[in-house]
Amino acid sequence: MNNIIEVKNVTFEYDDADRKDIILKDFCLDIKRGSFTVILGHNGSGKSTLAKLLNGLYKPTEGNVFVDGISTVDEKNEIEIKRRVGLVFQNPDNQLVASIVEDDVAFGPENLGHSPDVIRNEVDDALKAVDMYDFRKSTPHRLSGGQKQRIAIAGIIAMKPDCIVLDEPTAMLDPKGRAEIISTIKKLNSEKGITVVLITHFMEEAVDADRVIVMDDGKIVADSTPKDIFSNISLLKQVGLDVPQTTELLYRLKQGGMNITTDVISIEESAQKIYDAIHLEEI
Amino acid sequence: MSILEVKNLTHTYDGNTPFMHDAVKNVSFSISKGEVIGIIGHTGSGKSTLVQHLNGLLKATEGEILLDGVNIWENKKNIRAIRSRVGLVFQYPEYQLFEDTVYRDIAFGPKNMGLSDDEIANRIYEVCDLVGIKRDYLDKSPFDLSGGEKRRVAIAGVMAMQPEIIIFDEPVAGLDPQGRANVIKMINDYSKRYNATVLIISHNMEDMALIADKLLVMNKGELAIFDTTENVFRQHERLIRMGLNVPIVTQVMLSLKQKGIDVPDNIFTVDQAVDYLLSLKQGGNRNA
Repeated sequence: MNNIIEVKNVTFEYDDADRKDIILKDFCLDIKRGSFTVILGHNGSGKSTLAKLLNGLYKPTEGNVFVDGISTVDEKNEIEIKRRVGLVFQNPDNQLVASIVEDDVAFGPENLGHSPDVIRNEVDDALKAVDMYDFRKSTPHRLSGGQKQRIAIAGIIAMKPDCIVLDEPTAMLDPKGRAEIISTIKKLNSEKGITVVLITHFMEEAVDADRVIVMDDGKIVADSTPKDIFSNISLLKQVGLDVPQTTELLYRLKQGGMNITTDVISIEESAQKIYDAIHLEEI
Repeated sequence: MSILEVKNLTHTYDGNTPFMHDAVKNVSFSISKGEVIGIIGHTGSGKSTLVQHLNGLLKATEGEILLDGVNIWENKKNIRAIRSRVGLVFQYPEYQLFEDTVYRDIAFGPKNMGLSDDEIANRIYEVCDLVGIKRDYLDKSPFDLSGGEKRRVAIAGVMAMQPEIIIFDEPVAGLDPQGRANVIKMINDYSKRYNATVLIISHNMEDMALIADKLLVMNKGELAIFDTTENVFRQHERLIRMGLNVPIVTQVMLSLKQKGIDVPDNIFTVDQAVDYLLSLKQGGNRNA
């Protein structure tokens, strides 16, 4: 099967006594196996609700979510779903449970009922995958934010998931921690073939994705490549988002009369474009 | 004359236990009235611990804090008055909303200052105009608001005390770009309106470039650099070694420089970069 996740006509509403909000309505989305998808959207656009629907933490009010062809609606599939799709949240301190790093990472595999020697391997592999093997005997609260968040990711990896969904995993991190997490995510995607769904408010983090989805008011308003999405500056501003600083720079240089295209986003490519444009002027 | 002076501040956590460590080590600096100071540093560098001393929320293990030349602990009974002169907005302040209406939540600080009901009402209307909270929101429950709106109400609650110094611990964390821009504007407007001194902890170098006059860089509990934003962002390699970085637009300029284009080392905002690069074009072969 080509799609690891299929969201079919999902409607989701919170049904509290004093709050009845429809967050998603008749929502459809397919995520390709092995892909790297970034989801953008302002606060309250439905991104986090979607994330929780993807591994069955929330069940749709109407419609269906299939993971590897298995429906999340049916309670008996719960373990199969959670094993395939892992969720990572914003605050690492809320996700770590044990007082030793390797115990924390072992929590998932233990719950899956694996034998101790299998767990040993799964934990070591997971810690190596996030470059935290040397810290396996440390205590999580002595680690930096980026390190803690990588331990949280290792805890998911240890269950050998097909897909990881990360909900603003870098919101609380310093620049180095952010860079660590983004490079870890990319590595897991390219080397281990794990499907990644990354929800973020940092436009720069979408630069290397295969696909960027923009959500507004519970709907998908754009779905394309990063270059395509970030060239549509007016749409992004309209839904309360922004473009990466590189795109803004190229766009404004173009407006100012420089002969330059705005279809790149990485720092290196942007510098090259500007370099070329300046040299072109001189010839 | 400096409004705030920190002298040899050290804070030791878990003193006399095997876990004893200094979160802040011998930090000294002084700030003039009306300055906007950005505080940057890796996670665990001591930023939050440092600012919680400035309004007496934490007590220094060693060293002292002078507000207008007076030690804030000189008269212990006065510490509440200090807290209304030095306002502190915590990380994720919206989690601390608790009243049943927005009005009562914003009123909480001013009420504790012993102000009259009329004065409190005036201040609430004033701060709402300043930060863009609509009057008809005042009767709503804060829990019915969106995340960005809750954050704004929580910040308004501190601003309504009209502190001379206001400190923000990661005020834009978790906000979308529009929310981020709104909060940055609120902070700017407040500091201009009341000629207030502002300290902001943030991991967002692009925002820092836009609003901070000076940057205070913390590294492993020590004050590594305290200088103008320009002079700090010029030290790009040193910042990277400390787990930090320069704004993205500055990284583009550094890459251009490596390619042999003569770019100055004081470009930190998109405006500055656009002005300079377009002037290159008009000036002809300045880099030939």
